[in-house]
Amino acid sequence: MAKLTLDELRRRREQARKSIYLRDGEFRGKVIVHMGTCGIAAGARAIVATFLEELEKSGRTDILVTTSGCAGLCSKEPMATVEMLDSPPVKYVLLTPEKVRRIFAEHILGGVAVAEYALGIGSERAG
Amino acid sequence: MSNGGERREKVGAALVVGGGIGGMQAALDLADAGIKVYLVESKPAIGGVMSQLDKTFPTNDCAMCTMAPRLVAIGRHKDIEVLTLTEVERIEGEPGNFTVTLRRRARFVDENVCTGCGSCVANCPVRFIPQPLDSIPPVKLAPEVQARVDQIIAEHRNRPGPLMPILQSINAVYNYFPEDVLRYVSQQLGIPLTHILRVATFYNAFSIVPRGKYIINVCMGTTCYVRGSERLMERFSDTLKIKPEETTPDMLFTLKAVRCIGCCGLAPAVMIGDTVYGKLTVKEIPGIIKKFQGANGHGQAHTG
Amino acid sequence: MAARRIELMLCTGTGCVAGGAFRIKKVLEEEIARHGLQSEISIVPTGCNGFCGQGPLLVVMPEKIFYGWLKTEDIPFLVQEHFLKGRPVKKLMFTPPERKEPIPLLSDIPFFKKQMLIVLRNKGIIDPEKIDDYIARDGYAALEKVLTSMTPEEVIEEIIKSGLRGRGGAGFPTGIKWKVCRNEPKTPKYVICNCDEGDPGAYMDRSVLESDPHSVIEGQTIAAYAIGASHGYIYVRTEYPLAIKRMQKAIEQAREYGLLGENILGTGFSFDLEIREGSGAFVCGEETSLIHSIEGKSPEPRQRPPFPAQVGIWGCPTVINNVETLATVPVIINRGAEWFSKIGTETSKGTKIFSLVGKINNTGLIEVPMGITLREIIYEIGGGIPGNRKFKAVQTGGPSGGCIPASLIDLPIDYESLTQAGSMMGSGGMIVMDEDTCMVDVAKFFIQFTNDESCGKCTTCRDGSAALLEVLTRITDGEGQEGDIEFLEELAWAIKDASMCGLGTTLPNPVLTTIRYFREEYEAHIREKRCPAKVCKNLIAYWIDPQLCQACLICKRECPAEAIYGEKHIVHVIDQSKCTKCGTCLEVCPPRFGAVKKLSGEPVPPVERGMKVERKKKTATPLQEQSSA
Repeated sequence: MAKLTLDELRRRREQARKSIYLRDGEFRGKVIVHMGTCGIAAGARAIVATFLEELEKSGRTDILVTTSGCAGLCSKEPMATVEMLDSPPVKYVLLTPEKVRRIFAEHILGGVAVAEYALGIGSERAG
Repeated sequence: MSNGGERREKVGAALVVGGGIGGMQAALDLADAGIKVYLVESKPAIGGVMSQLDKTFPTNDCAMCTMAPRLVAIGRHKDIEVLTLTEVERIEGEPGNFTVTLRRRARFVDENVCTGCGSCVANCPVRFIPQPLDSIPPVKLAPEVQARVDQIIAEHRNRPGPLMPILQSINAVYNYFPEDVLRYVSQQLGIPLTHILRVATFYNAFSIVPRGKYIINVCMGTTCYVRGSERLMERFSDTLKIKPEETTPDMLFTLKAVRCIGCCGLAPAVMIGDTVYGKLTVKEIPGIIKKFQGANGHGQAHTG
Repeated sequence: MAARRIELMLCTGTGCVAGGAFRIKKVLEEEIARHGLQSEISIVPTGCNGFCGQGPLLVVMPEKIFYGWLKTEDIPFLVQEHFLKGRPVKKLMFTPPERKEPIPLLSDIPFFKKQMLIVLRNKGIIDPEKIDDYIARDGYAALEKVLTSMTPEEVIEEIIKSGLRGRGGAGFPTGIKWKVCRNEPKTPKYVICNCDEGDPGAYMDRSVLESDPHSVIEGQTIAAYAIGASHGYIYVRTEYPLAIKRMQKAIEQAREYGLLGENILGTGFSFDLEIREGSGAFVCGEETSLIHSIEGKSPEPRQRPPFPAQVGIWGCPTVINNVETLATVPVIINRGAEWFSKIGTETSKGTKIFSLVGKINNTGLIEVPMGITLREIIYEIGGGIPGNRKFKAVQTGGPSGGCIPASLIDLPIDYESLTQAGSMMGSGGMIVMDEDTCMVDVAKFFIQFTNDESCGKCTTCRDGSAALLEVLTRITDGEGQEGDIEFLEELAWAIKDASMCGLGTTLPNPVLTTIRYFREEYEAHIREKRCPAKVCKNLIAYWIDPQLCQACLICKRECPAEAIYGEKHIVHVIDQSKCTKCGTCLEVCPPRFGAVKKLSGEPVPPVERGMKVERKKKTATPLQEQSSA
């Protein structure tokens, strides 16, 4: 590759930051997909993939997609909890990739929870 | 040339042949005992071999520091006559009564008038003749060895300070320095062999004797030491029946103490080839040796 | 790059690689692929994480969960439980010996908690073989700043103001060194990075090169700009193949990006770097010796002055800085001298990396602010001494340093305090010793080392170390005489006074400090022919306690000298005349019996051969207790 100029170095730094954001980024929001055996059987893997897809499309580096164990509500799987900074966590149930796309657009990017998919407000620990 | 006399009396004169350090000391001792001394030396100046040495064995004392005071003392001593450029031709007589015939060659410089300014040396058009390099026959290497060494030399010769990288590359190929390869390098680079040897014998990673296929580096760094690496060394030594720094007769293993391989977290550690064995206990040693002996291939890394 | 949800920061420093990190990586890759998680999880091979005692290890991002002592057979479970189902695996987390519950988060582990990362800012976070990772973490921002907005004089002024001192050991102010070199009229000038880390027990320089090579390149380039150099060398020990490889790669990447070479970043400044390897000579860490080594001369040190900053390599002004020093420079430029000078003590600013090794629970590399006490390092970060043994001393500064006794445990660590205690900072090795370490033996070990490594130029160092060794060997062999201690002291001071380079002037330190703080141990060896720590072979004997021996035959089988007699039901006895004191019997005797004992300074109690094993009925034997438990 060609040698960098000062500007190119700065641009490169911005770009590179995105690729390592998991390691030291500041996060505004977190998506937890529940991945117990029941969740996986119900299609939780596709849910994770869709969240990641959407995340990449959006170019945001302050949103985390992670997994956790069974939420104990096996009949409503696949489930995910969306926690945005400064607002209570929202648990979504019976997800499909289509629902995920809407949640991502409206809740995560738009800041308004999608009430019709939600089980309730609050994570299993809080309530 | 000297008169005979009673041994008890300090009379007559003595002749010392050779103005090296031994001759000089003999002359001084005799002269201090009250005897007239003739000191004969065939070279243009006294001093002999020692004047060309840096240090002396076994004490490593500075040669010039030993010699210089004696040179001065001889020059000043009223009872010593120094005869340079002089050779003994004939000795006649018996103990106590000698006649010696000497031949003195021309110096072409009048010693009584010379002030030692050095202009004649500076202006002499003939110089640098002692032993030109091409008087040593060129070293012949086997064709494949020469090709390999030539390649190594070509890779590094044009950078400043090429000797170390060249030696390192040769060491990587042969595990030691074959003598004729060093001679060849010396001739190719125009660096005296003595200098190359001085460098080649200084470093722990180099050797001028052949070493085994696998070098067992037992770490003797502080951490490994306090965690008992000395016992590992003993066990390797017992099992292989060689002492540290030695090689097994089958040329498979060389046992070596190494100063810290930086794996202090895995102490005590042993490195064989590129493989580090960490948190090693004496019990595991025979097995490790067997593995190398048996497979004669590369071992697996070892988890502690 | 696709968005991922997990990054696995797998330590691939030398220690973890030796422990099998690459095999772990392979299994991880296989398992991740088996679950089809490749697009969601990536493995990042990082440089040394520092917690080497726990290796092979990995940190799971973004949660920062720490897993240590990994084995390939744990990986399938780990991948399925944590990475797929999101349930962190407790049994692979770090559990301090005194606690039952594991500590999941890296940041909560005391070993990491007390540290302050400046030089090691990128350790375990970036892939050392990817320049973009470094750039992302403000890499080359300092170089950019220096080249665009600072004059060389301003750079030097900033470094002087920061109070940065050489991390190689002697602690010379870095800025002053640069200034001297800059003011030399002769050109060209050179910058050399000294990574000939010879001190046994110290490996921070290797770790920095392995985990963050670009920080050294950046620091060295800034130094070159400040003094006006256009060429530099990195002198690395040949014992560090991984560091050499990573550095080579880093240099190539930097060249490709135009961060090294002609006209850097289009600013007109040119600088290039070259790696030179050592070949295993301790003295080459001394700067004049190092220069001779690169030049291909016999690597003996020479008299200073002139200092290398005036007359260095190829006769030109040369700045030689340690790896750690150079890696600190970019941070100082980025965050300012004022920020840096607030860290540390009055005379010693910033942080220092120590390698905490020896008889300590948490082995590894730590970076701590200057002025921290030994107690904090050993008990809070290091987690104390294994097996609840008593802390005896800590050896700092390698063969040039000394032993600091337990009584000085509240000593704040900086250049001056260590020198005052008779030791020195050195490159930062910190070897912890417990009551099983014999201080005379340690002194002997170091003198053996320096005697081996003395280049032989100065008589005092060459022959003096040999004489010290002779007397120390005599003492540890039980043949010490009255007056030996005084002789050692006198000789040590003579060596200190009359040697030329740092090796000679500091080599007596281990002897002097051990005499200063542990004189009674020397006296016990000489007068009572007793080794209090039971280390010195000629002064100890192995003995099997007939009350405890259960005649299990293990020691008899393992004894390489065949010095143990015994059979089933018959108490084993060591034949003292055959015993080579290798200690194997002690090592193999099952801990629940603990029958093999070391004795020193007392006669070996006679044991009759053919005694039957006693298995007392009334009080349960240790064996029964154990097996019923």
